[in-house]
Amino acid sequence: MNAIREAESKASGEAGIEICSVRAGATTFGVPITRILEILGAPAAKPVPLAPSFIGGLVHYRGEVLTAVSLRSLLDLPAQEGASDVLVLESPAGCFGLMVDAVGEVMTVQPEWIEANPSTLDDRRKALFAGACKLKDGLLVMLDPERLDPMRLLH
Amino acid sequence: MDELTREFLIESQEGLDRMERCLTELEERPQDSELLADIFRSVHTIKGTTGFLGYTRLESLSHAGENLLGMLRDGRLHANAEIISTLLELMDGLRAILASIEAEGSEGEGDDRAMIERLIDLQRSDGEAVLPQTAQTDAARLASGPGDKLPGDKAPGDKAPVERRSLHAVPKTARTAGEENADVENGAVKAATSAADSTLRVDVDLLNRMMNLVGELVLTRNQILQTTSADSGFAPLSRRLDMVTADLREAVMKARMQPVSHVFSKFPRMVRDLTQQLGKRVRLEMEGQETELDKSLLEAIKDPLTHSVRNAIDHGIEAPELREGAGKPAEGLLKLRAYQDGSHVVVEVVDDGGGIRVERVLDKAIERKLVTREKAAQMSERELLQLIFLPGFSTAAAITNVSGRGVGMDVVRNNVEKIGGKVEIESHAGKGTTLRLRIPLTLAIIPALIIRSRGQSFALPQGVLHELVHLSADQTREQIQWLEKSPLYRLRGRLLPLVFLGRMLHQHEAAAEGVGCYIAVLNADGRRFGLVVDGLADPEEIVVKPLSPVFKQIGLFSGATVMGNGEMALILDPGALAVRASIAISSEDEEQAAEQSVKVEKTGQEFLLVEAGAEQMALPLADVLRIERIPRGRMERVGHTAVLRFQGMVLPVEDVSGIVGQKHEEGDEMTVVVCRDGSRHVGLAVSQVLDVAEGAALVEAGTDVVAPGITLLKERVTSVVDLGRIPALPSEEPEATLEVAV
Repeated sequence: MNAIREAESKASGEAGIEICSVRAGATTFGVPITRILEILGAPAAKPVPLAPSFIGGLVHYRGEVLTAVSLRSLLDLPAQEGASDVLVLESPAGCFGLMVDAVGEVMTVQPEWIEANPSTLDDRRKALFAGACKLKDGLLVMLDPERLDPMRLLH
Repeated sequence: MDELTREFLIESQEGLDRMERCLTELEERPQDSELLADIFRSVHTIKGTTGFLGYTRLESLSHAGENLLGMLRDGRLHANAEIISTLLELMDGLRAILASIEAEGSEGEGDDRAMIERLIDLQRSDGEAVLPQTAQTDAARLASGPGDKLPGDKAPGDKAPVERRSLHAVPKTARTAGEENADVENGAVKAATSAADSTLRVDVDLLNRMMNLVGELVLTRNQILQTTSADSGFAPLSRRLDMVTADLREAVMKARMQPVSHVFSKFPRMVRDLTQQLGKRVRLEMEGQETELDKSLLEAIKDPLTHSVRNAIDHGIEAPELREGAGKPAEGLLKLRAYQDGSHVVVEVVDDGGGIRVERVLDKAIERKLVTREKAAQMSERELLQLIFLPGFSTAAAITNVSGRGVGMDVVRNNVEKIGGKVEIESHAGKGTTLRLRIPLTLAIIPALIIRSRGQSFALPQGVLHELVHLSADQTREQIQWLEKSPLYRLRGRLLPLVFLGRMLHQHEAAAEGVGCYIAVLNADGRRFGLVVDGLADPEEIVVKPLSPVFKQIGLFSGATVMGNGEMALILDPGALAVRASIAISSEDEEQAAEQSVKVEKTGQEFLLVEAGAEQMALPLADVLRIERIPRGRMERVGHTAVLRFQGMVLPVEDVSGIVGQKHEEGDEMTVVVCRDGSRHVGLAVSQVLDVAEGAALVEAGTDVVAPGITLLKERVTSVVDLGRIPALPSEEPEATLEVAV
């Protein structure tokens, strides 16, 4: 928590946004690190039979049972071979996990680098993505934990 | 609100609660000077503090009450129905003011003059009617009385043993303070005030947090035990941790326990008011008030119980004339009974009223469109009775202001189910109704059997589990029969509908070939079925964790848990599984038939057949609590008796064939059958558990006498273990002499 607060004050001080890059399939995504509580390296996820398809499973997080959303399933990608990393994200409705193929690096981006979703994107992805961030060597799809909250996805 | 006022409010409420209990008792024993002294003290304490805090309404009211009570206590006046009613009203008045202080911080507007005048009038009305003799003895009793009398001195059943444990020992504090005042005033000897120093008021939130932390500790302990079983050096340490955790858990749980008398105590007054209002005559009997339940659960059953008692008096018990006409005593009987049954506390509301007439239930249900006539025609009597739990159902012919507004039994059921309990109803027309609330002892930790299905673990609450049947691969093929698409199993000659867990959960992986399966025979809310699973793991005490609401629509899981090995498991909801599989509620007849068929087949009891050394022995199955596989290193000794620490207790273990003493390697396991012998628990070390079988009584040749201590089990004469002969633990303090067995 302290780390996040520090990052937050640092980010506001330098007018940049610190972003953690994660990968799912061939795409790289960015999640503001102020919204990440913890990164769990390849935790043992437990599948939940009959659960909605976007649920990656349950993850043990500090004595609690955390529901993890699978980014791959959200993008209709086949499940990954081997273990996935899980970001513990904070949303107004509570904590949840986001299952990704791998966690990359933390980088600082400027707010003006971020543009809204292109109009050509399909509706489903428009609802999930929070815009695109132009990097020197490519694009980063921005993710907003609020949009990925499992209860929200259900509706 | 400042701390002082809050304290005052809590103490005053407690005082009034006690006053209420005493007043209803006073009706039966109007001369009881102890009761009168108790009531006097409650009011006196309130008066004392209010003057100090500047609550004038409270002060003048309680002052008037105190004067009247003083006269009663000193025997200058005798309690009659009118006085008691007025005192009850006084109490309501005081309560209302307290509520206003709590909500708004002030006493509120109100005119108490009428009340005060009545209290004063009553003091005059029979001031002459004094029996000097009683007054004298009462005074004598008082002098030696309340000061040095501890709650424990009361005869059991005399009064609700309310003041027993720290959480609610709080009233004791309040009371002692009251006693002191009263006693000083009387010039009586004051003593035994030290009780106040030994108790402490604790915030329930803090206790909740402690309970959660202990839950976490239990989890961590389970994980440590599993990790360290491989490493020998660490074993004694982790055993110690195991022991401390178990004790700590028990202690925290105990701290949260309160006797059900806390809830029961308000019923005498309620029954009194209701019967007067309805013109009925009802005698209230309460049993098992000392039974303890977690505080939060106790809170949760307060409303359902109140509802049920109202229902019983309003709809259950008939008017006196009707009762006499039916050949029953004019006075109805309402019985509240609480007792512990395994990991549950059962609270029963029993009335000897008219019972529920199934036809009327049916008519009403059809009228309210809760069920169609066609569907109803197929329902058993027991299923029809369940209709009263549907929302919007009420059979009262006339809507009274006591109950019968269409909210009732469904609320009762919802509230009880919310805390993991169950409601059962039994009713016989003309004879009465029994409503049974089955409440788990604690919220957080439940015993569960871990089952496996397609490589995944699930937890099955043990409360619903009746028995387990293992089928080998061949048996699975042969003995599971299909009626069209319904799988069935013949369990002791009766067909048991089966539910394949893997299929129900759409687990598509094929079951492993060539291995058998297990049938867990469950009874979930009267729905009897067999759950077919791939495998079983050890039973575990699991800490229930809530599941995200995302999974609510699945409806088959009641939570999740983290097991000892760190793996997570979903907790199955057996009732929901049964409903999903359309298993019907078995009728009572059917269930009785099942029981009878068992009884007819088995002339005697069921026995657990075990092998100890070279000998086979039988244990009455009814007495067997658990079969435990434990590392041999866990056996300890007290003197010559082998003992096992088990669920926070020390269990003497009978070792008939010297299994405990045998040489063993580190990590070897042994089997201990934990049995119940009367109220104590004992263990029996065995080499192997063989089977469960029915025993037949054997008659000694030439006599008609059934040979004791042996039974015919699987065509073999087998001796039955006499659990009573397992010696109790040596009386010296066991902890001091604990030694690890070699």
